[in-house]
This record gives sequence, structure tokens and C-alpha cells, in this order.
Amino acid sequence: MATIAVKDLEKVFPGAESATIKNANLNIKDKEFIVLVGPSGCGKSTLLRMIAGLEEISDGELQINGERMNELSPKDRDIAMVFQNYALYPHMTVFDNMAFGLKLRKTPKDEIKQKVEHAAKVLGITHLLDRRPKDMSGGQRQRVAIGRSIVRNPKVFLFDEPLSNLDAKLRVQMRAEIKKLHRQLDATIVYVTHDQIEAMTMGDRIVVLKDGIVQQFDTPMNLFNNPQNKFVAGFIGSPSMNFLPGKVIQKEEATFKSKSLEFAIPKDLRPGLKPYIGKEVFFGFRPEYIYDKQFEKSKRLSENMEIVVDSVEPIGSETFVYFHFIGNPEHSFCFRSDSQFSYGIGSEICIGVDIERLRFFDKETEKRIM
Amino acid sequence: MKFKSRKKEQLFWGYLFLAFPLLLLSIFVFFPIGFAFVVSFYDWNLLIPDKPFVGLGNYFELFKDPVFIKAIKNTIIYTIGVVPVQTLLSLFLAFIMNQKIRGRAFFRTAFYIPAITSSVVTSIIFVWIYSKPGLLNYGLNALGVDSNIDWLTNPVTVLPSIMILNVWTTSGYFMVSFLAGLQNIPASLYEAAKIDGANQWQQFWKITVPMVRPVTYFVVIMSLIGCFQVFDQIFIMSSGGPDNASTTMSYFVYQNSFKYFRFGFGAASAAVLALLIFATTLIQKKYFPPDVY
Amino acid sequence: MKQLKVQKIVFFGILGLATLIYIGPFLFSLSISFNADKDVFEWPIKLFPERFTLDNYKNVWKELPFGKWLFNSVLVTLIQTVSNVFFSALAGFAFARLEFKGRKLIFGLLLSSLMIPGIILLVPKFIILNEFQLINSYGGLIIPGLVGVTNIFLMKQFFETIPKDLEQAALIDGCSYFRIFWQIFLPISKPALAAVAIYTFQGSWNEFLWPVIVTYTEDMYTLPLGMASLRTELLTDWPLLMAGTILISLPTLMIFIVFQRYFVQGVASSGLKG
Repeated sequence: MATIAVKDLEKVFPGAESATIKNANLNIKDKEFIVLVGPSGCGKSTLLRMIAGLEEISDGELQINGERMNELSPKDRDIAMVFQNYALYPHMTVFDNMAFGLKLRKTPKDEIKQKVEHAAKVLGITHLLDRRPKDMSGGQRQRVAIGRSIVRNPKVFLFDEPLSNLDAKLRVQMRAEIKKLHRQLDATIVYVTHDQIEAMTMGDRIVVLKDGIVQQFDTPMNLFNNPQNKFVAGFIGSPSMNFLPGKVIQKEEATFKSKSLEFAIPKDLRPGLKPYIGKEVFFGFRPEYIYDKQFEKSKRLSENMEIVVDSVEPIGSETFVYFHFIGNPEHSFCFRSDSQFSYGIGSEICIGVDIERLRFFDKETEKRIM
Repeated sequence: MKFKSRKKEQLFWGYLFLAFPLLLLSIFVFFPIGFAFVVSFYDWNLLIPDKPFVGLGNYFELFKDPVFIKAIKNTIIYTIGVVPVQTLLSLFLAFIMNQKIRGRAFFRTAFYIPAITSSVVTSIIFVWIYSKPGLLNYGLNALGVDSNIDWLTNPVTVLPSIMILNVWTTSGYFMVSFLAGLQNIPASLYEAAKIDGANQWQQFWKITVPMVRPVTYFVVIMSLIGCFQVFDQIFIMSSGGPDNASTTMSYFVYQNSFKYFRFGFGAASAAVLALLIFATTLIQKKYFPPDVY
Repeated sequence: MKQLKVQKIVFFGILGLATLIYIGPFLFSLSISFNADKDVFEWPIKLFPERFTLDNYKNVWKELPFGKWLFNSVLVTLIQTVSNVFFSALAGFAFARLEFKGRKLIFGLLLSSLMIPGIILLVPKFIILNEFQLINSYGGLIIPGLVGVTNIFLMKQFFETIPKDLEQAALIDGCSYFRIFWQIFLPISKPALAAVAIYTFQGSWNEFLWPVIVTYTEDMYTLPLGMASLRTELLTDWPLLMAGTILISLPTLMIFIVFQRYFVQGVASSGLKG
């Protein structure tokens, strides 16, 4: 049982010009798997370390289970943490590494033994218990680091980019294992990563951070479909969303107009964009929701958009097509096409965007309009 | 133990950890620095209870004392003689040790042994070597040079003899410093120089010497400080003699402070030496800075 | 090819000569220490004595207070080494890993104290010890050398290379800062601790100036001072003197050969010598 409440949290490092974390507010439910994600330097690790008690809280309050934690030292918060470089004690065996926290809490010897062995079994590292960290592979060390955190059965688990030192294949495997572990442990987890795919696949809910400010705190699907601003829209999803700057103007109907592309705004979006007539906006559209008009007949697509293919990246299951709108070679965009279609470089085609998926952002505030 | 915050916890442990070292350093380093100057303003003698304030009196007396002037001269000669030779020799040794030669560890150990041996031991051995029927005269005669000087009791040879001993003892130590610096020079630099057509000699002067400049800076400073304060060898080999021909400033300090127990006068002479060392290191820092590439 | 060969011969010639110059004097003193003749000045000088004896090594213990000096030297060296290792590690940890008010100031003070030539401290140190009546006592010999600033620096530098995560993991595991120091940092810092130990050992064992100043009766002398006093008092029995110097050199030589790695490391990483 553990809820975490982050209230108006601020972090200002001594001597720093601006705050590293600004006014963060999060309510984390019991047993939730929360991922903190953002580009490097966004403050995600700092926020995690504040929850751990490794960084002092400059302002605001942190509560675990409704109790104020600000002044408690890490050991008194009933948390466990897995570090990016594992932070295993090099002079101790795996068993001693895992048992260390329990020993310090004066747990009886046979209980320690039983707990460590149980955790080792869960993680499949029973055969490594007598080894030292330097004699193990990265994946094995990672498991020991996780094992060390679960033996204490803490209220909250904190993970600080635990997979970033592993190779790609192992990372995918460990991702699934940590997910599985979460279900077994029934614990609250806060997990930091810079990898948005990791965030999307693991988190029940995701906190997107940029420049110390929480951009959006939502479920993965909501982040993808209903990003609250241009940053979240661009950060979540791979390849990222395409943005085209332009203006909303009033012709017979409200119309989006840019240097190369002009189309009437579909009926359902008009009311929302009305206040923006005469103003600059970004038109956003994901590579996934672009279709070749020649082949796609069933979906409700936007008006015709004429494009020129710049380059093509087949990745097997699908093909990334990079293109520009005719008459505007400065802006380059991407669309994901079925791999059965092939496009020659320089060929001109006609595409459309799924009408449901058209997005518009305020150019100034970057907030989403529709 | 419970602490109100992690800050307080670190404050507590920080000062607890530093408590004993700080206490000791305060008594034997920080306080004595100031106290040394205070003492130098008094006519302070261990054997006389009365300690009148004399201001700069001790300093005036120092510069009227021909022995002190002699000691300054000797110290400067000693330093100017030893530092460059020692630096070049240790760089040269390091350069040789950095080649791929068989038995490198043995040679390195051989060159390093004098540096780890007690100054008393090396001094005593060299007293024998420098004595009239000693190894040096024997060797010179074997080479056909007719020599029967007693090197350490001759006022002309005593200081150079001790200087050579100093070079011999410490060059191995500085060799190791240089060796570490040499090993940090990427091999690709030498390869590039070879392709550019540089021979061994040019590689040494155009690549090695400039690249180890930070180490050279460190070696010269340490060597300077050591030479300015040379004491053990003087004490054991010549006791400053004959006729003060080998009295250095530190030996002068020792004699006045701890043989005659003239603490005020001794402290003043030590202060002059300290200022001389300080000024020299400042000059070096200003005009020969340790450029790092 | 021929030129290369000449080069090689010259190179090894220089190397051999240099080696001879550096260890030759020790070989001769070794030879003299085994010489049964008291007059070692007979030319030609030979590297191998005509009449070999071990008596000189026995007489060192009988004719001189060598045992007493050895005891003094061992006592001083042992206490100073243990103390330096422990306290420089403690202080190094505080400087490297704890954040507290005044840390930078204190560290700066220590740093600048390295610029002070030791010679200027002699008189004040003597006066202070005299106040505590520690002149010509073990206290006077030992206490001023219990902590060395350079050792603190060496430990600080080493501790700074240990990843921060390790201590944070320990904090979360429930360690106090002393426990982090004692159970995590010390066990993984053996190379640095060894460097400090060896360096202090060598310095204490060979120290000459301080014992000269602070002791004045023969029974308080350390080995180097004792041997030096013989040089001025009874410079006739060279074989005996050389046997003594060989004995003094053995501990540092052996430690150097066994722990060469740490020696070189210590010199290379911080470049320190007293």
C-alpha cells in the first residue's frame, strides 16, 4: 500500500540561475507503474532523487501514504532504488549485496537467507549468489540490483534509467521482466527513462517533463492521441509527429494556409479553430495517419496534398517515406507506408491525412487547440 | 542517530571526521605559521627567560651576519646547480625507461632505489666514496687522473660533491613522475611525427618535451623546494664546513635555533628562507606556467 | 642494419653504466659490511672482500644501542602509519563525499598549507612541544606526524573516483555516513590505502630532521639519527657502520619491491614527496 503525492515541488540547486524542478504536482496511486520521461536535462532524475531523499526538496511537499517525507532520510522512507550503473558493492558477493539492507535493519539471519533466496529465485539468479559483481554480465548485474531492492519489500520502488547500459535485445527482455515483476510485487513503481518507447510500453501512466516542468501526466494512449502541447506531441511517437507552420484564414470556410499547402478545415474542427482566424498555428499530423490516396479508399481523409518523395527507408515491415510538399522544399516530413508499396525518389504522389487525426497547436503557447 | 535533515547529518559527520586531523594540523601547521613570525620579532632564547621585543632587529642582524650571507649564496648555488641537471636527467631516464626494453622493471627499480633509501644511508656511503682513500679518488686514479683530494673537507669541492649526491638520490624519484607523464602521451602523436619525417631526436624535443610540460613544472617546483631546504646531507657529510663552505640556509636555521637555541634569530632566518622559496615558486608560476594541451 | 646495431650497443652501454652508477654504491657498502678487515681503505678497492665475515652484523647489536634505536623507529613508524591511513581516509572522505558548511574553506586552508616550507615551522613546533614537556619523548617524536595533508589529498582524490550511486545505494540501504565510510569505501579503497601506508612508512622510517631536533639523548634516537651520530662520533669502524646502514635500508627496500605497483601509482597520481 503506497500512494505518492507530490505537491508544488520545487528544486533549486545552490548557485543555479533557474529551478531544476518547477511546481511539480503528481498524485500517484497505489500499485501504479509511473514513468518519468523527457529529454536529458529535463529534471526527471532530480525529481526521482527528491522522492528517494537523495536530493533535498527546496519547496513544496512530498507525501508517501499521506505522510510528509521532506525531512526523512532515504533509509527512513521505506523505498528501494535501482541505479543506472547498478551501484553494486564491488567487494561483496551477490548474496551480501542483497542482504546488506536487511542486515542493517537487524533482520534475523535465517529470515535474511530465506528472503534473499526467494528473491534470487524470482529473478533467476540463484546460481550467482556467491559471485562478485565484476564476474558478471551487465544483465546479471541488473538483476542483482533489482534483487537488492525487492528483498526489503519496500513501499515504493524507484528505478533510475536501469536499462540504458544494456544492449538493445536485453533491454527489450528486461522491460518485460520488470513489468512482470511489478504485477507479482503489487508495488508502486516510479521509473525514469529518456526512451519514450520504454515509457510507452511500461508505464500505467507517464509524466512527460521538459525544462523542469511537468508537461502532461497521463496514460500512454492519451499522450499519443491527445497530447496537450506540441512538445508532448513531438516527443511521444516514433517517428515523431510532423509539424507545418501556417495560418488560419477565413475564406468561404475556415482554411489552413501555409506556403505550399492549403486546405479547408473539416467541419468538426471549425468551432474550435474559430478564435484563431488570422493567427499563426502549427498543423500537426502523425506519420502513422498519412495515406496514399491511390490505395486508401475506406477512411475519411483530408483534401488532396501533393508531395514529392525525398528519400525512402524500408525497415521491413513498413517503409518510412520522407517527403516535402510541392513548392516548399525547406520543410521535410515523414510518413509510414505499407512496405508493399514502393516509391521512387522524386516521384510525386497525392496523400491525405485521417480527418480524425488532424491536430492544431497555438504557435505562441504551443498548446493544443484541437 | 536521528537527524533533522540530511544537511545536518552531513554537517555532523563532516566535522566529526575532520575533528582530529584539524586539531592536529591547527597545532602543528596553522598556528605555527603565524607564531613563527611572532617569534622572529623577539630576542627569544630557550635558555634565557627574558624575551625582549626587538621588532625587525633579528632581520637586521641576519643581513649583517657574513655566515648568513654565505648561506644564502651557497643555497642559491646549490639550487641552480641541482635543479636543471636533476630535471633533465630524470626526463632522460624516463625517456629511456619508456622504450620497449627487456628487463625494464629491473632498471626502473635500480634507478629508484636511491630515492627510497634513507638520506642517512646514502650520505654515509658517499662519505666513504668522497674520502681521500675512497672510491672516487681510486676510480680517477685508475683512469689516469692523479687525484688525492679529500672531497668533503676541501672548501671548493664540498658543495658540488653534495650536489652530485642530491642529483643521484632524487633523479630516480622524478623519473617515475616523468614516466607517468610520458605514458599519457598518445602513441598516435609519435606515429604522426614519424610520418611527417621526424627522427628520434626531433620527436624527443618537438613532442615529448612540450607534452610533459605539466610534469616538468611539478618536478621543477618540488626539486626547488627540496634544494632550498637541503639539510640531511649537509648535517651528516660536512656539518656546514669547512669554514661554512657548505652551510646552507636550512643548516643555518638549525644551528642557530637548535644548537644555540636562539629561537628569535633562527625563526627570522627561516622566515627569510620561506619567503625566498615562496618568491621563487611565484616567479616560476608566472613565467613558466604548466601549460596543459 | 649495421647502424642500428651500433645504436643498440651505445644504448645498452649507457643503460648499463647508468645502472652501475645507481646501484654500485650500494654494492660497495654491502661488500664493506661483510669485510673482516677494519681498514677498508686499502687500494685496490675490491668488490669482494678478501676475508668474509658476518661479525659486523652481529656486532651492530652488541656494540651499539641498535636494538633500542630499532624499537624507537618501529614504534614511531608503526603508529604514524596506522594513524595516517585512518585519519587521512576519514578526512579525505569528508572532503570528497560530504557537503557541509565550511568544507571548501577548510580544504582551501589545507591546500595553501602545502605551500609553506616545513623549515619555518620547526621553531614554533619545538616551542609548543616544549610547553607540553614533550621534547625528547616519544610523544614529541610521534604526535606531529600523525596526520599528513598530502595523504588527505591522495585519499580525497581517490574517493572522488568512486561513483556517487554507490553511496546513495548504501544510504537507501540504511547506512549512516560512518558505515558508508567503514563498510563500503574503505574495503574498495585498498590500493589508495596501501599507497598512503607505504608512503607514510617510508617517510617516517627515513625521517631525519625532526628526530635531530626533538631528541637529545641517545636512548631516544631513531635508527637514521643513531647511525648519523656514529658517523660524527666514531668514524673508524666502517664495516660496522655499513652493516648498520644496510640493515636500515632493508625494510623500505623490501616494501618497495613487494608493493612496487602502489608506489608508482602513488607517485604518479598525486606526485607527492615530503
